[in-house]
Amino acid sequence: MDIKAYIESGIIESYVMRLTSPEETADVVSMMSAYPEIAKAVNDFEISLEQHLTANAVVPSPDVKQAIWNELNPDFLPVIKEDPAITGTAVRRPATWKYLAAASLVLLLISAVLNIYYYNKYADARREYNGLLAERSSLFANLDAAQTKLNVLDSSMQMMKDTAMQIIAMTGKNSKATVYWNSRTKDVYVLQNEMAKVPQGKQYQLWAIVDGKPVDAGMVGDCGDVLCKMKNIPRAEAFAITLENAGGSAVPTMSQLYVIGKV
Amino acid sequence: MHIKKERTNLAGLMPVTGNYKEADLVLLLKQRDRSAFDYLYEQYSGALYAVILNIITDRETASDILQDVFVKIWRQADQYDPAKGRLFTWMLNIARNASIDFTRGKQFKNSRKHLDISDTMGHLPENIPFDTDRIGIAGIVKRLPGEYGKLITLAYFRGYTHEEISKEENIPLGTVKTRIRKALIVLKQLL
Repeated sequence: MDIKAYIESGIIESYVMRLTSPEETADVVSMMSAYPEIAKAVNDFEISLEQHLTANAVVPSPDVKQAIWNELNPDFLPVIKEDPAITGTAVRRPATWKYLAAASLVLLLISAVLNIYYYNKYADARREYNGLLAERSSLFANLDAAQTKLNVLDSSMQMMKDTAMQIIAMTGKNSKATVYWNSRTKDVYVLQNEMAKVPQGKQYQLWAIVDGKPVDAGMVGDCGDVLCKMKNIPRAEAFAITLENAGGSAVPTMSQLYVIGKV
Repeated sequence: MHIKKERTNLAGLMPVTGNYKEADLVLLLKQRDRSAFDYLYEQYSGALYAVILNIITDRETASDILQDVFVKIWRQADQYDPAKGRLFTWMLNIARNASIDFTRGKQFKNSRKHLDISDTMGHLPENIPFDTDRIGIAGIVKRLPGEYGKLITLAYFRGYTHEEISKEENIPLGTVKTRIRKALIVLKQLL
């Protein structure tokens, strides 16, 4: 079979233009399926004919299209009904919107309720938090006070542990006090072991007895349970405490001698 | 004439933009997809209308034929066999057959009664008014040399069988066939 001769015989073009006899037509169809070159030749001519006619087209009146659509309208409708995908969306769409609208309303309500609930929880938590915050500051303040006291006690303790520290116990009627005298630095501290509370306008005054004469060693403040730092005393034979008017006196009021102790 | 349009395939799965491929177009048309049919009309109605005008010069009548042709394309889509050729070729043949069938109808014959068929054939290029000999296939046929144009006009536009042409033109049947084929080979080169 000479394919080339067959293709060039003009039968291909005759076939495409439908100018072949029924026998020839059947022959070309079977040749097309048997020989891809023949199928290609047919297709090539069809495409060039199609392109030529498309390029040299005459646009019909828009009425023609309208008339076709009008005529086919009954044909179109059942096809649309038969299509479950199209019918499905067309029917389901409004239902879906209603459902979505209802769902969003429900969600809005739930959201509002939750907002109130969580706002109340938040307010409670806020109140609790503020209470805890106040408690915490007072605890901190207490801790600070305790810390300060501890520091003072600790420093007193350190002083008493100092080997240079001389301890002079002073005693009197129902009263007891102690002088801590650093023999190296000559610093003097006093501890009120058991002293009566001073009346209004009065103050205890410490005296150092130097060469038999009283020397002012300072006023004893309200130092609580800790040591009160007094004046520096270079030397002394004894220490004593008298009750004097607030601010102190130049000479001790001997009638008001509370305690005395020898070094 | 390429019309860009958006459509949804039959399953409604995804929108497709752009021109249809021949195979997709055929499949959608057989599935009775209206968008594909719409595309088909936009793409090819002008080409088919031109060929109808080659056979039926009256524009109004040609428009009616074009309408019938597209209704047939829609209703007979199942009959199209891609193994036999392209979709356009099939549609072109429907347009040609519908036009020729119309010319053979009683009304048309009566309106042309005064015209002798051989006379019509002989003066065909002159008888076709304004641009109809320059559009569609007639535009190429006009450029065919000598007797070729007449033979193709008879065979293609009038729908004469080779036997009828042989009798009318007093040419041996084998010669008619050979000349028509030669004419088409030339026509192909003119495309």
